[in-house]
Amino acid sequence: MTCVQCYQLSEQALVLSIDGLITQEVRQKIFALAQTAYNTNDFFDIVPANSSITFYLNDFTRADYWLEQLITLWEKSEPEVFTPKTHLIDTFYGGEYGPDLNEVSELTGLSQKQAIELHASVDYQVGFLGFLPGFGYLESLPEQLKLPRKSTPRAHVPALSVAIAESLTAIYPSSSPGGWHLIGRCEQPLFNPHTDSPSLLAPGDVVRFIPKEHR
Amino acid sequence: MLKVIKPGVFSSIQDLGRHGHRHLGVSQAGVLDPIALKAGNALLGNIETAACIEITVGLSEFEFTQPCNFAITGGNLNAKLNSKALYPGWRYHAKAGDIIKFASHPEFLRAYLCVEHGFDVLKVMNSRSTDCQAKFGGFEGNALQKGDVIPFSESLVPCSELAIKPTDYTNVVRVLKGPHCDILPEDYLAQLLSKTWTVSDLSNRMGARLEHPTLLPHQKSIDSQGVHPGVIQLPPTGTPIVLLNDCQTTGGYPIIASVIQADLRHFSQLAPTKTCRFELVDFDVANTALKKQEQEITRFKIAIQQLENKK
Repeated sequence: MTCVQCYQLSEQALVLSIDGLITQEVRQKIFALAQTAYNTNDFFDIVPANSSITFYLNDFTRADYWLEQLITLWEKSEPEVFTPKTHLIDTFYGGEYGPDLNEVSELTGLSQKQAIELHASVDYQVGFLGFLPGFGYLESLPEQLKLPRKSTPRAHVPALSVAIAESLTAIYPSSSPGGWHLIGRCEQPLFNPHTDSPSLLAPGDVVRFIPKEHR
Repeated sequence: MLKVIKPGVFSSIQDLGRHGHRHLGVSQAGVLDPIALKAGNALLGNIETAACIEITVGLSEFEFTQPCNFAITGGNLNAKLNSKALYPGWRYHAKAGDIIKFASHPEFLRAYLCVEHGFDVLKVMNSRSTDCQAKFGGFEGNALQKGDVIPFSESLVPCSELAIKPTDYTNVVRVLKGPHCDILPEDYLAQLLSKTWTVSDLSNRMGARLEHPTLLPHQKSIDSQGVHPGVIQLPPTGTPIVLLNDCQTTGGYPIIASVIQADLRHFSQLAPTKTCRFELVDFDVANTALKKQEQEITRFKIAIQQLENKK
């Protein structure tokens, strides 16, 4: 069972926070509610996360109204209202593109081929974005691939690296420092601020990695 | 155009920030002191969101290559137009070839240079603010560099000199209680409020890190949730971080308090080694302070219009 509360974090920010097991159904409800709230035009930003949604009010005098209303909307929220978009991401695993694949294979006891197959066998969902523009936290990595972050982060992770850490996988939209295990690279641009839809991934989207042969 | 002769320690193009894209991981950016920008724009008859240059520390120098009505607001960084001293809260006229210099000041950290019509850089994701982390917006996605030439429309009619009383800065900042005080040791909020904190030299536009001989360490983490400028995170090391405009959009450190929106601007002037204290207030106080600030800006605009009409 989940327990939901709504509180005011600051003048314009309201948080709906969900305690308890976050099932796939709860997750869909989060994205569905975010969408419903977006359509009211009362919020200038809505940030869904794993077990919460933060709503940024246009008019802070509406806080009390929305503190109640969001709970009501949550209770009425239907998971099926949300239809995710699916992205197929061609990925070059291992070798120069995935310098940590070897280590991942050693640490997990899987062969490199098994690790690749396992990583590409799952439909991941974008739980939320953060860290860098367009950086989506993708859930959930198969149990056998779960590893702690690298003990020493890399100073420079190349853009479009496909990486894993803990129960998550992600693609680095741009080069940056990073502590995740790099297992591959893709070619599809993830973030371009100069286009109408700057980020390929949005909260709730589904991602599937398609292994490609190195050229 | 405005030619950058010396960018100084850190200067960047900013407006009121980038909104509507947090769910994509895009930071707010924008000026650290929105009241200073609004006052500067009001002095020049600009729209509120016109872009300015935010100057950090100073030691910077710019050349007007065309006639320009401009205003400086924010902290007093001992600016001069050629050899004439300039003061925050005033608007002035510069001729083509005039040089504006910002020295520095022990008590102030940031000044704002506004020009009539605003700096004319392209909007990226609906804002002219520079996102210095992600490298887009502003002038070519970066802090200003020597030799950059920033476009703006020239002023056809020189303005009269006119001032707005500058809004004071303080280091006593009002905060709201954070949502995660109950998972932190019981007296941590009280300790946050009773200590005088020193701003660390690791502070920047992403956040002000605060230091004290006795910190507030813990071992709690929370599920990542949306965060924004003003949120005070408490990482396990126990050094509070006041998130500022370039902060990330989500965070997993407990939130011990939030700076009220009306007071966050004071961090624009709190340089490393400066101290600050926090005072707990409720939402009524926070909302009233915000309304009062908005009314002040409205009053500025009306007063300026009346003065212009008298001429």
